[in-house]
Amino acid sequence: MTTSTTLTPPAPSPARRADVGRPRLTFGRILDAEWTKIRTVRSTVWTLTSLFVLSVGLTALICSVAAGDLASGGGGGEPVGAFVTWGLMFGQIAALVLGILVATAEYSSGMIRTTLAAAPRRWSVLAAKTTVLTGLLLVLGTITSTAAIIAGNFFLDREGIGFSLGDSDVLRTMIGGGLYLAVLGVFGLALGLLMRHTAGAVTVGIALIFIVGNLVGLVPGAAGEWLTKLMPGNAGSTLATVESFNPDLLGPWTGFGVFAGETALLLLIAGWLFSRRDA
Amino acid sequence: MITAERLTKRYGDKTAVDAIDFTVRPGAVTGFLGPNGAGKSTTMRMVMGLDHPSGGRVTVNGRAYRELPAPLHEVGALLEAKAIHGGRSAYNHLLWLAKTNGISRRRVDEVIGLVGLEAVAHKRSGGFSLGMGQRLGIAAALLGDPGVLLFDEPVNGLDPEGIRWIRNLIRALAAEGRTVFVSSHLMSEMALTADHLLVIGRGQILADTDMADFIARNSAAHVRVRSPQGGVLAEALRERGWTIRRDDDGALLVDGATPEQIGDIAGSRGLYLHELSVVNASLEEAFMRLTADSVEYHARTDQPVPAGV
Repeated sequence: MTTSTTLTPPAPSPARRADVGRPRLTFGRILDAEWTKIRTVRSTVWTLTSLFVLSVGLTALICSVAAGDLASGGGGGEPVGAFVTWGLMFGQIAALVLGILVATAEYSSGMIRTTLAAAPRRWSVLAAKTTVLTGLLLVLGTITSTAAIIAGNFFLDREGIGFSLGDSDVLRTMIGGGLYLAVLGVFGLALGLLMRHTAGAVTVGIALIFIVGNLVGLVPGAAGEWLTKLMPGNAGSTLATVESFNPDLLGPWTGFGVFAGETALLLLIAGWLFSRRDA
Repeated sequence: MITAERLTKRYGDKTAVDAIDFTVRPGAVTGFLGPNGAGKSTTMRMVMGLDHPSGGRVTVNGRAYRELPAPLHEVGALLEAKAIHGGRSAYNHLLWLAKTNGISRRRVDEVIGLVGLEAVAHKRSGGFSLGMGQRLGIAAALLGDPGVLLFDEPVNGLDPEGIRWIRNLIRALAAEGRTVFVSSHLMSEMALTADHLLVIGRGQILADTDMADFIARNSAAHVRVRSPQGGVLAEALRERGWTIRRDDDGALLVDGATPEQIGDIAGSRGLYLHELSVVNASLEEAFMRLTADSVEYHARTDQPVPAGV
């Protein structure tokens, strides 16, 4: 082991000529940066476009096809109110994927290290991502569910079985669509941050929200009933429908509370790991 | 100024960085040299607060990275090429980065100009070549006009033009009084850019030395001589006080002598020579010897000649 005898001369003060503003890390700035990130990639445009087009388009389609049957008392006794946001069942996948991508796109590119070098306060980074995603999906989700209801209701109205848009359940569904999709996006964000892998997180997310939710009903007895009620997708989506296809689910606000609680728990676990893991 | 004290990183049983101490000083380029897997990148990630040390600590300007009030203004880093979302333009990448620390938009344009990416600043960065990606990474590192800069293998995969550009940039940054910490696995690269040298092997600091000293100590030439009467010749040369080692093929490696002196001695004693040449020891070899010795028991290429040969 050799140690240098000629040490580097003491530091001259760095030549700082560049005018970089007044740099300082604040939460507001991390938030601004996260907003810049999400609006400057095409995947955001694509997922939000599919969210809108699938939700509104499929709702209009199913309502135009089923309205006649429903009006004549056919349709197997399905609740009419379940049809006006039918397309959201598919559109919501886009909200989940957007949330996942907010986390996993950083890991697949290695950009997470750039992010954390610029903003080493990891809980603040997660809070900023969550805020941006929630805000975006709350607005887009409300617009989407409102448009879906108006489009679907147009066809139901023609058969005389439409809803009044001032109906309290209809209004609740318009807002509820935004709330549900926002929390679903955050659920995706948490899942993405836990798994750090897009394909894996999308697979698990879709399975958890859309498939397992329908399968747990096969568990016999009260256990199956409760599992069905408590599965995230089932609990949350009631808020985003005027009437649910499944009458045994939790009430809209209770269900949403359960879903939000589950999401918060998942986000906390993901955040705890995020703050401790090597990036 | 970067200071590491007993800095350690373990992954399970494996110790990647083993209680190392070092200081990286301002106004000079400090080369961080070691073979692949020696712990260079892990150390740099710990400096940046990305990986958590298993023990010890590392500070930048006296503070842990996470406690820096404006990290980009104090430290700039190029840790890996193209750690960028391919769908985002170079401009937007730098823009969000600037926003985290409240750096002005004007500075974003400035660094784009500095690295010469004006023409492609608004194109998707996914289509960038390695060299362009590297320039964008450097623009990001310079964004906050930081006093401390870290470059992890900055010339890897670049063309000669790009390599020269980075070398000059690194030298210029240090000349401005900044602390510049550059890792490489190539001694030749370090010899050209670094003022000070930290050699790491298997997670330990093997040398912490002035570059000029290292070169002076390790660049001495020796003479290689091969003779069917090697034993007799070695004895004759040793009488003159020269140090002699024996190469794998039986040739003698003589330090401190000129080929003329050796040829004269051989001629005066009537010894046959099959080879007589000057071998310039490369710094690369010196570095490999340094890391090989303390890292693993390699087959050695030059062993001391046993007495009585």
